[in-house]
Amino acid sequence: MKPGLFDRLNRVGAWMVLLFLVLPALIAIPVSLTPKRFLSMPEGEYSLRHFRHLFTSPDWLSSFAQSGIIAASTAILATTLGTLCAIGLWRVTSRNTEIVRAFLLLPLIIPQIISAMVFYRLLVPMGLIDSYPGLILAHTVLATPLVLITVSASLANFDPRLEQASRNLGASNWTTMRRVILPSVKPGVYAGALFAFILSWDEIVVTLFISKFNVYTLPRRMWNGIRENTDPTVAAAAVVLIAITLIAFAISAVIARRRAQGAASKD
Amino acid sequence: MSEAATGGLGLTTLTKRFGGFTAVDNVDLEIRRGEFLTLLGPSGSGKTTLLMMIAGFLDITEGDILLDGASIRDVPADKRNFGMVFQGYALFPHMTVRQNVGYALDVRGRPKAEIEARVDEMLELVQLSQFGQRKPGQLSGGQQQRVALARALVFAPPVLLLDEPLGALDKKLRVEVQDQLKDIHKRIGTTFIYVTHDQEEALSMSDRIVIMQNGRIEQLGTPTELYEKPRTRFAAGFLGKSNFLEMADGTHALRPEKIDIAPQGGLGGNARLSGTIRDITYFGAMKKYMVAVEGREDIEVGVDSWRNPHALHEGQSVELGWADHASIRLEEN
Repeated sequence: MKPGLFDRLNRVGAWMVLLFLVLPALIAIPVSLTPKRFLSMPEGEYSLRHFRHLFTSPDWLSSFAQSGIIAASTAILATTLGTLCAIGLWRVTSRNTEIVRAFLLLPLIIPQIISAMVFYRLLVPMGLIDSYPGLILAHTVLATPLVLITVSASLANFDPRLEQASRNLGASNWTTMRRVILPSVKPGVYAGALFAFILSWDEIVVTLFISKFNVYTLPRRMWNGIRENTDPTVAAAAVVLIAITLIAFAISAVIARRRAQGAASKD
Repeated sequence: MSEAATGGLGLTTLTKRFGGFTAVDNVDLEIRRGEFLTLLGPSGSGKTTLLMMIAGFLDITEGDILLDGASIRDVPADKRNFGMVFQGYALFPHMTVRQNVGYALDVRGRPKAEIEARVDEMLELVQLSQFGQRKPGQLSGGQQQRVALARALVFAPPVLLLDEPLGALDKKLRVEVQDQLKDIHKRIGTTFIYVTHDQEEALSMSDRIVIMQNGRIEQLGTPTELYEKPRTRFAAGFLGKSNFLEMADGTHALRPEKIDIAPQGGLGGNARLSGTIRDITYFGAMKKYMVAVEGREDIEVGVDSWRNPHALHEGQSVELGWADHASIRLEEN
């Protein structure tokens, strides 16, 4: 059957939306290749000098490392908390669980600028401002709801009889969780960890409020780079950031597909 | 395989309420050590709720459960040591068959060598020795069912609970697995408590059957007792088929195969009713006649096909007869 007018419009529309969403990010690629010393589109000439600078400057390298440490720590903490929380809410069936769940999702709903203020007010008296623990704590609060969502989604497909079977066979609650529930919700846990990592990796609003000199994450250095000296190294950093994010998603997609094929080949 | 020295269960005034709804209502039941007991009933009759209370997954509202005389009311599910085969099997999908079967021993911290030997023994019992390294998803429904059985029996439980374990199998396979289950029950001597809504399964496998309705025990007895001497209309209609006849002393149940059918005058003086054949259905071994009788509901008559001497056809006038002891008077309810 020939595709109708509506189908064709639909397809064109989809591509337009995709371009609209992706193009601004892709602008960073040509800009990062400009030979000039300020942010500009390259005109005929290309250069990798900004990438070279990015990977040799101690300042930029230290920011990469700091962002990496904070994002990894955030991912570990948020994944642990979010997973425990999701399993707890799944096990306790009461009218109040939905209220608790809504409450736990608040960090996603509250405007980040407000979260940023709150963290500032909280961390100053605790002496955690401008420190690794402070940033990791704040990012963990923001990222935990993401893990809660992905793990809850996995649990929705989990057959509660598997838990009963494990208990019936003599396993304690803890053993059941470790050996039956967790392996079954692994995809949700991995997805949640990935989202938590990415959230922390490119978080800027809260970070601006609660860091100063000691901790200088990658997004923060890019922000300063643009504000102070329109340094094209920022574009190079953006390209690297996008690439890392894409690679992380590609890996998770491959894992998910392999898992799906594994499941399908059983039948 | 050890002869189970325990496994007698006593249910006393056992009751389960969910809010205002009473799922299990004041059940008293003595389950004998080593017997094959079936809980039979339509969905919503409370049979699965009863099983879940025995397994320890549901709290008891009132009453008690005794194992060999001692209350297990407050023993958590993981400490009851009852094996269970779940509806849909509930095999752990991320573990191999061996890991599934060995799980109960593994979580009890038994030594590796003992687990391996015991798993081998169980896989042999259910004839799956060559499938140990497969994942459950790579097995057929019947094989999965056997893995579930091996997993539930590996720690030699005194009681095995089975929740509609054959529901997902096709009919031919179901009969095969029924025979295997019966055979295994005989060999290991464990008490089997079997939940089903399938009356044929209940009749062919059980030592005793409990017919349940609305959370209560409708009738308890051996398959023969229940089929030959149903006490209530529900029991007579649920286990096997029955015609119900209003007689001078009350309602009687009359099984279709206990009725003689012949053309008018063919029964000599023994005819009790006459009517017209409305419909004939052929089942191979059996033929079913639906006979319209004036002033009554249609009467179903079942006849062995090969023994049917008269060539009866639809619309023919026939007469029906039966022996005095063929019809069973039911209790009023």
